[in-house]
Amino acid sequence: MTEVLKIENLHKSFGDLNVLNGIDLSVAKGDTIVILGASGSGKSTLLRCVNFMEIPSSGRIVLQGKPVGTEKADGINYPEKELTGLRARVGMVFQHFNLFPHMNVKQNVMEGPRTVLKCNQAECARRAEEYLDKVGLGWKAEAFPSQLSGGQQQRVAIARALAMEPEIMLFDEATSALDPELVGEVLETMKELADEGMTMLIVTHELGFAYTVADRVLFLADGKILEQGDPEKVLIHPQQEGTKNFLRGHGSFRLPEPVLD
Amino acid sequence: MEHVWDFSAVFSNWYLLLIGLKNTIVLAVVCLVLGLFFGLFVGAARYSGNRLFNWPATAFVEIFRNTPVLVQIMWFFFAFPIISPFDINAFTAAALGLTLNTVAFSSEIYRAGIQSIHKGQWEAAKALGMNYSQQMGRIILPQAVRRMIPAFMNRAVELVKMTSLASVIAYGELMHQAKTISTIEFNPIEMYTSVALIFFILIFPFTLLVQRFEIRSKAKG
Repeated sequence: MTEVLKIENLHKSFGDLNVLNGIDLSVAKGDTIVILGASGSGKSTLLRCVNFMEIPSSGRIVLQGKPVGTEKADGINYPEKELTGLRARVGMVFQHFNLFPHMNVKQNVMEGPRTVLKCNQAECARRAEEYLDKVGLGWKAEAFPSQLSGGQQQRVAIARALAMEPEIMLFDEATSALDPELVGEVLETMKELADEGMTMLIVTHELGFAYTVADRVLFLADGKILEQGDPEKVLIHPQQEGTKNFLRGHGSFRLPEPVLD
Repeated sequence: MEHVWDFSAVFSNWYLLLIGLKNTIVLAVVCLVLGLFFGLFVGAARYSGNRLFNWPATAFVEIFRNTPVLVQIMWFFFAFPIISPFDINAFTAAALGLTLNTVAFSSEIYRAGIQSIHKGQWEAAKALGMNYSQQMGRIILPQAVRRMIPAFMNRAVELVKMTSLASVIAYGELMHQAKTISTIEFNPIEMYTSVALIFFILIFPFTLLVQRFEIRSKAKG
């Protein structure tokens, strides 16, 4: 198994607030890892440190065996140019989609390859078509984001990230802003990607999705990994009190089984 | 008071008025183009986190926003030549005052326009691997400029009106020509009425355009 991403002793603080307190994680090619935790536990910050939307306070990020940044006496130095190059190799999907409203769907998907990778027009168009088809929205290529449902917008955002042909994909609460009936189509798209062997780090509150799709589940509390393992172990037989409480809170209200048929 | 309106002297001096109109338009266009161009840089400096840029830009904007334009024009015509390395004629002084004033105002329009763009747009662009100038040029400015257009058009209207202040330093724009003609022909009432009308005809279509634009962008949300 090749290791795509390795996180070593990652710390991040904002002023006096310590959000991440020493995270270690190894992600192999094709892994689907779901990160759970209460709000404020540091899950989004962890994700955002991987593509340097936030600069880690200390610790190391190693992508494809190569540590990011240059080691200096007073810590690691991150040249901006290296970080932009790294972000082009890591895809990110946001809670609020953040599509570019002044571009149509196809232009949104072409924008990264065109501006960052400097692909020629034909190659950009080919990629846009390929990845829009993949998320099932080839027929919406000429539409503008404002004309799409939330679920469709998020699928375009996924296509936009995929068009960069990233080595790893980060999903930051990708379905949290969606109406309940639109969540399924986005999770379905994400599951397809996982099945195809995409390496994925997913922050979500969808426990059912985590159970079905994840190879590994991490439970974060106070900026540390409290518990981790395969979904069966963490979600069904949790060992830690913090994990149990979290899962209890999520399981308070349930439909009786027959209704789900 | 009985006054018999007589516009004949206005018509017989049409050529002088035409020169005035041309000078008004030249001054307004020069100041608008230069003002919008340099305003972008001052706005960017105001937006910058770096104090070295931020502080002087803020000082500049506040000075020009909080002093009368007339004082600025008078200063550039009567005070500045004493310390200036080059000659200052009426046009240069008026253009300096009005341009710098427009720079100050338009920089605020740029800044507010850019700040009105949701930070998720910056993040999405950044996450794709764009550098700062690509984020700004491809994603932020194209959206921000659309929101700025009504404000810029309003500014252009204000600017055309402010050019009349240049008459006090004898720049031959419309107002100054009118003043000259009326002292020769003794027809202030017809002359200034005509000038008001000319300004109105020049500016009103523009104001209508601004209104239409504002309604349209409001409808779009």
